Amino acid sequence: MKIALFGNPNTGKSTVFNLLTGLRQKIGNFPGVTVEQKRGVLHVNGASHELIDVPGVYSIYPSNKEEKVVYDLLFNSSDSDKPQLGILVADASNLSRSLFFFSQLIDSGLPMVLVINMYDVAQKKGINIDISELQSAFSQTPIVIMNARVGLGKERLMQAISEQLGALKAEPSIVTNSLKKLSDLAGQETEANARNTYLKSIIHRVLQEKEGPIRTHPLDRWFTHPIAGYVIFAAILFVIFQFVFSFAAFPMDAIELGFEWLTRWLRDALPDGPLSSLICEGIVPGISGVLVFIPQIAILFFFIALLEDSGYLARAVFLMDRLVRPFGLNGRSVVPLLSSMACAIPGVMATRGIPNYKERLITIFVAPLMSCSARIPVFTLLIGLVIPKMKLLGFIQLQGLVLLGLYLLGIVSALFIAWVMKLMINQEKRSYYLMEIPEFKRPLWRNIFLTVFEKIKVFTTEAGGIILAISIVLWALASYGPREQRRAAIQALKTTDTYMQGSTEEQDGLKNSVLLENSYIGIVGKGIEPMIKPIGYDWKIGIALITSFAAREVFVGSLSTIYANGSSGNDFKLSSKLKQQKNPDGTLVFTLRSGISLMVFYVYAMQCLSTLAIVKRETKSWKWPLLQVLFFGLMAYAGAWICFNI
Amino acid sequence: MLLNELKVGEQANILCISDDVFRTKLLEMGIMPGTRVTLLLKAPFRGPIAFSYQNTLLSIRNEDAQQIAVDKLSIQA
Repeated sequence: MKIALFGNPNTGKSTVFNLLTGLRQKIGNFPGVTVEQKRGVLHVNGASHELIDVPGVYSIYPSNKEEKVVYDLLFNSSDSDKPQLGILVADASNLSRSLFFFSQLIDSGLPMVLVINMYDVAQKKGINIDISELQSAFSQTPIVIMNARVGLGKERLMQAISEQLGALKAEPSIVTNSLKKLSDLAGQETEANARNTYLKSIIHRVLQEKEGPIRTHPLDRWFTHPIAGYVIFAAILFVIFQFVFSFAAFPMDAIELGFEWLTRWLRDALPDGPLSSLICEGIVPGISGVLVFIPQIAILFFFIALLEDSGYLARAVFLMDRLVRPFGLNGRSVVPLLSSMACAIPGVMATRGIPNYKERLITIFVAPLMSCSARIPVFTLLIGLVIPKMKLLGFIQLQGLVLLGLYLLGIVSALFIAWVMKLMINQEKRSYYLMEIPEFKRPLWRNIFLTVFEKIKVFTTEAGGIILAISIVLWALASYGPREQRRAAIQALKTTDTYMQGSTEEQDGLKNSVLLENSYIGIVGKGIEPMIKPIGYDWKIGIALITSFAAREVFVGSLSTIYANGSSGNDFKLSSKLKQQKNPDGTLVFTLRSGISLMVFYVYAMQCLSTLAIVKRETKSWKWPLLQVLFFGLMAYAGAWICFNI
Repeated sequence: MLLNELKVGEQANILCISDDVFRTKLLEMGIMPGTRVTLLLKAPFRGPIAFSYQNTLLSIRNEDAQQIAVDKLSIQA
């Protein structure tokens, strides 16, 4: 049986959901839309039921496309999806507002359980609720007092659910005709007025409240201060990034080392042949390529959940909204975009908090332009290669300045494209930004842990498959080629002086280089040379560009293989080798122009399978990731052309 | 006067809300003519404002606040 969990935003609905279902949760979408739907298993008297977490809203009438899922769940869902029982979580400090939504749900004919949550907080504010009086006003509905954050009242809630389930009639009750059609705005207004009048009489009997408006927390003055506010926000982000970069590196290295070890072990254990190659060079690195993102995702979401659960995030949104709005973004876009500077994957996943679809889509679309950590090895290599080590004005490192410039180019481009998209995407209805600023709370570790766990699960199960599949395709293209051509190339190599005089290690390196050159990817790389010649690259760079479609940092490894660098880990050796590379006409391959052109290419080009997979997952269509590949690819090419030719 | 013209700490009663959709949305949240509000926070650069009503601190954008006409009370919060 389906049970739906309703509530206004900030009533502790998610806490109740986590308390009831724990790890037995599944994340999906509501039918036909990209609104996140959490479902969990709830055991009542030995029978298991499905608990559906419904987005937090104030009314069954939606104010945007996302909120329409509530109305659709009640009136337009198939019989198997229709909930038979509803639970409404009300914030005891805001009873009258919760009762508005509650009374609409009652009128829809759905049997309900009413949870009065956070009653302890309300009592401290001098609010008293006469529960028996409230019970007499809604005699059909069991009322449960809870304090979900500390787990108080769970047993009572289970008891009430069980009672209501037992009392369900075979025939659903008839829907009261007080509810209106979605298009009938005037009717909704009349209804809301009538409902408020009716609820006022109940509230009057039930609620005792000390007079006096609430005040803000003293910290709020600083968090929203025109100077201190931004300084605090920047400082918090700085700390988060420090943690991401210093703490994520260790488990990421461990994962990579572990898989390298596994590969070596498998190579020894398995008989030589295509199967061994598929496992050791296709599947295992593919899995490693998925798992290696988990530390960053976990750390970023740990902090995002911490900011959210403590209440700070709402202040940051309040502070930043005005700054990013000219670009078609929402205050809620800021944290996802800044997270993308570590990694676009958690960034894109964090856009779920943006209530407006258009603003969310724009945020997802431009997130990969924020310079992520995978670009750092590429930039470091190229800057070391073509930018002279010199100081401007005696103290500014030119190399560092170029790196900063690349980051800024990404940010400015992201804002510009967001602005263009704002003008291009039409919105059917005007949207309102209505955000409650919750009181500060001590973060609840259970909520934070579950958020991190969910995000990792979604990434590995839903994006992982796509990433693994494409990694294997790329592996196949890089390790196979026309047989005759490869054999001939190896034969030719063996007669060269460099090969004959080289050590075994150098010979292996040269062989791998020739094999990659004559693989399908190598053939494509050579094929696109006429296309990339105008932006200053030769076919070797072309091959590295194609292989780094899987992930940007692969660029360095591929160059290493192509230039027969042997041990791929030695960047210094690679760098000095690259410096000597010459074109057939004798000019250097890596000049200031071609180097900058290549860096600009990497600022724009959408070269990250994992991001594409997660964008597909979040927008529920291939349209947006493909547009990103195409559009950012064109920008990369145009930008690189300009840098090389002007 | 309009809601966004209040200074931080000033109280007012809501008089009317001009936009139809916005009025209905606020009505569903319990904000209607006669509701007492206190302006508590203003984001920099004419960004969102936050006001309290009942026991809630609600933030809305500056231009949406201009849809709400209020009657300022002389007593300060």
